[in-house]
Amino acid sequence: MRMDAPLTQPLRIVLVLGALGALALSLAWRALDLQVLDKEFLQNQGDARHLRELAIPANRGMITDRNGEPLAVSTPVDSVWANPRELLAARAQWPALARLLNIDAKGLERHLLGRLDREFVYLKRAVNPELAQQVTALAVPGVSLQREYRRYYPAGEVVSHVIGFTNVDDIGQEGLELAYEEWLRGRPGAKRVIKDRLGRMVESVEGVTEPVPGKDLALSIDRRLQYLAYRELKAAIQANGARSGSLVMLDIATGEVLAMVNQPSFNPNNRVKLRGDFFRNRAVTDVFEPGSTIKPFTAAAALESGKFRPTTMIDTESGLFKVGRHTVRDVHKYGVIDVTTVIQKSSNVGATKMALAIEPQQLWSMFSRVGFGAATGSRFPGEMPGALSSYKRWGEIERATLSYGYGLSVTPLQLAHAYTVLADHGRFKPVSFSRVTQPPRSEQVVKAEVADQILKMMETVTGEGGTGMAAGVPGYRVAGKTGTVHKSQAGGYADNRYLALFAGVAPVSRPRLAMVVMIDEPKSGEYYGGLVAAPVFGKVMAGALRLLDVAPDDVQSLRTQLVEAGVGKQNKGGAAGVMAQVVSSTSHTRQSNETKSQPKSLGKGVL
Amino acid sequence: MIARAMKLWGRDKNAERSRAVVMPRGRPGQRPAAPPKAVVLPQGDPWLLGAAFILLVLGLVMVSSASLNIAERQYGHPFYYVVRQLVFVIAGVIAALLVMRTRLVHWEKAGGTLLLAGMVLLALVLVPGIGKVINGSQRWLPLGLFNLQASEPVKLFVVVYMAGYLVRHGAEVRSSVVGFLKPILLLVLIGLLLLLEPDLGATVVMFATALGMLFLGGARLWPFAVLLGLVAVAGAGLIYSSPYRMARLTGFLDPWADPFDTGFQLTQALIAFGRGEWFGVGLGASVQKLFYLPEAHTDFLFAVLAEELGLLGSLAVIGLFALIVARAYVIGRTAEKGGHRFAAYLAYGLGLWIGLQAVINIGVNMGMLPTKGLTLPLMSYGGSSIVVMCVAVALLLRIAHETRAPDSGFRAASPGLRLAEGKPR
Repeated sequence: MRMDAPLTQPLRIVLVLGALGALALSLAWRALDLQVLDKEFLQNQGDARHLRELAIPANRGMITDRNGEPLAVSTPVDSVWANPRELLAARAQWPALARLLNIDAKGLERHLLGRLDREFVYLKRAVNPELAQQVTALAVPGVSLQREYRRYYPAGEVVSHVIGFTNVDDIGQEGLELAYEEWLRGRPGAKRVIKDRLGRMVESVEGVTEPVPGKDLALSIDRRLQYLAYRELKAAIQANGARSGSLVMLDIATGEVLAMVNQPSFNPNNRVKLRGDFFRNRAVTDVFEPGSTIKPFTAAAALESGKFRPTTMIDTESGLFKVGRHTVRDVHKYGVIDVTTVIQKSSNVGATKMALAIEPQQLWSMFSRVGFGAATGSRFPGEMPGALSSYKRWGEIERATLSYGYGLSVTPLQLAHAYTVLADHGRFKPVSFSRVTQPPRSEQVVKAEVADQILKMMETVTGEGGTGMAAGVPGYRVAGKTGTVHKSQAGGYADNRYLALFAGVAPVSRPRLAMVVMIDEPKSGEYYGGLVAAPVFGKVMAGALRLLDVAPDDVQSLRTQLVEAGVGKQNKGGAAGVMAQVVSSTSHTRQSNETKSQPKSLGKGVL
Repeated sequence: MIARAMKLWGRDKNAERSRAVVMPRGRPGQRPAAPPKAVVLPQGDPWLLGAAFILLVLGLVMVSSASLNIAERQYGHPFYYVVRQLVFVIAGVIAALLVMRTRLVHWEKAGGTLLLAGMVLLALVLVPGIGKVINGSQRWLPLGLFNLQASEPVKLFVVVYMAGYLVRHGAEVRSSVVGFLKPILLLVLIGLLLLLEPDLGATVVMFATALGMLFLGGARLWPFAVLLGLVAVAGAGLIYSSPYRMARLTGFLDPWADPFDTGFQLTQALIAFGRGEWFGVGLGASVQKLFYLPEAHTDFLFAVLAEELGLLGSLAVIGLFALIVARAYVIGRTAEKGGHRFAAYLAYGLGLWIGLQAVINIGVNMGMLPTKGLTLPLMSYGGSSIVVMCVAVALLLRIAHETRAPDSGFRAASPGLRLAEGKPR
């Protein structure tokens, strides 16, 4: 019977309760152990899993032109990234995501499967805000956005060769973006955040380092001049069916690069289908034989030797002159002419005779002092120094060909730089791509007297009877030199491939700008420097002088012209007062006149 | 069965009413003709009731905290689990109220039937197409509104059955091995059904509770030694036979050896404890629940609680469970002294069950035991567990009510209770 059954032994109850109590105490001890004694290890383990150092991208410095106009700016964009494991699990949403990002779903799978060990894989960099919003709205597991900066180039292909560009990580790859990387680059900040296991930020914790933005860079480039140069060069390249071309404009007083353009150019904002050679800044990285544009330096060496004066007469004979087995040829027969005329008519024989009359070292020294054979010190990435061999190896033939610009190679920038030396009374200054605030230290490398005399000689080139009349600018005195260069090819020089060149400075009375125009392989029939390159020089120089408010130094010629045009009588005030108007209204007629008169000067030809 | 239960409740309601009428006798100041109350809470055990209530509410709060993010992600609705848990708790409370108004004698009589019904449930779960597989285990019966985890009621039924068995065959249990082995064989059958799901945790809890009840029932000691040896061998065999259990075991012994695979869940739980420190990171501020810790709202709720409420919270929960177990034994002892054998064994068994399940769940959370699919009683998310645990607590309260010491003044007053205690075996 139940009633007879003994009560449960107290000992057994005590044992059971004791066992349960012991278990409870061990649980309590374990809790104390985990939550207090061992917490450091566990918290570190936790931090390793949740704490993430999150980079805060720093703004890259803005690149502006000399007047503060933006040429390269960084704008915040979003990049789409994914945690591969998470995204692989959400296969159902792939088609929508792939469609949105315009990527191939199969490629996406490969992309993810190959990166399973990572927690962060970019899907698409720098997407536009609307797309970013759509991606957020899609809410695919494992897919998130990251704030980044993307570089935009407001001037597009106009300045692209000079500025270069950055890669998708905002690091300079070409041009000044590369050269000034350290200056422009900001220092990214960092913050420590707690993330959930899906990689989403939960909260921000201590240790925030503010990002340090990069410094802005003001270039020496003047955007207005750059646009002008770009427009004219592009038009000339198209009109002449040329392969490529370059234009460099320097400030004579400071050595600053005011404009530098190349054709063909590229749009740095969309570089998808471009090859590497599109990106080359040919004005700095490509060398060519300067041809007749070197002759002013040959003449300068001759004057400096004391054996020649501008009026010294040279017999150019019949336009043919044998040097060893080599015959130097002029396009026309000039007879006995003075040194100035040698420059004006671009006589190869005259240049050769001057070069052979002086010591090889004197010629080499002149070339070397104005910067040929050495980089300009512009620090532009990939700048070529050109080639100028040592005079010790020169024979007579080398001395002859060098005198009219074969056997050495220069870049357009070097050539323009050398012309600044002649224009600035023989003073040599470093080339600068950044805005110069203080006048640079200059070095007298050519006697001022010689340089001034050469400048005067070069002025005749754009005058009546010169080879480069098309380079003239109404109201201004322009000095320059044409060049038409046979391109070298394997085994000698090509008969039908030319470089058309014009190098010059203006205004002559107080030289301000030096410019070189190089057009490679014009194919529309004309190929002379005076016909192909000089008009570009004239147009760009005219616009540049006007934009820079340079006072005309040839008012007399304007007056004459105005009188001829029948407007002079109405001009009761000073010529300068109406100059701008006059220049713009007459430049057209003048240029068309020039074109008509051009064949005459070309007949006297240059080589 | 339901009809029968309704009938029971109906009868019980009459009993309550008659008790309510006599209630004023305990309070002399009141008029004897006070109208009967619709629901009268039996005078049970305020400590037990209080502890259970706090755990239930705290559990609801913690389930909310732990499940908001995961529900948002899984269902796009952060309150998915909260709303369900709230419904479960309400259902549990209703079930508890019904149980509190059901006389224990009905449980005692229904013991065998209930165990049989439990076994049918376990068998049904294993039928393909009926049982629902979640996370690789076939443990649930889909009932439309919710999934019934069959092992939860089975554990309760086993305790009820064992209490009845000890009353019916007490002498045999105390004097012979056969009396000891008969229920064991029945439990082995149930254990096999549970292992087929598989549900090792429930098997362990059921066996441990039943053995504890046999021990308290006075069974001889040497069969225990033999049985424990056999269980150890069988357990080892089970573990070695299944790579799934092996992985769980090794993962538990050194979770940091492979923290991203077998040790993943446990290391994440341990980190939660470490982050909690003395007073916790604050309610709702757990990071581990943000998808780092799997099953944060179910089996690993305690880890989230420890992270958010700190050592203070952990010890409080452990203490509350200890209080429940202690009260269960006080209640049981009182019942036993009053001659209520069934009620006493039932109280001991329920206390042992709740205590063991809490110990195992918390031990698993803290890496002291291999990972098991066991809920934290009264707290973890899950309808079956919540309702069954509410019923268990209600049973304890009913026992306290029915077996109140003679001096309480109630016993003599309630005919229903007198009937229960005076029923001849």
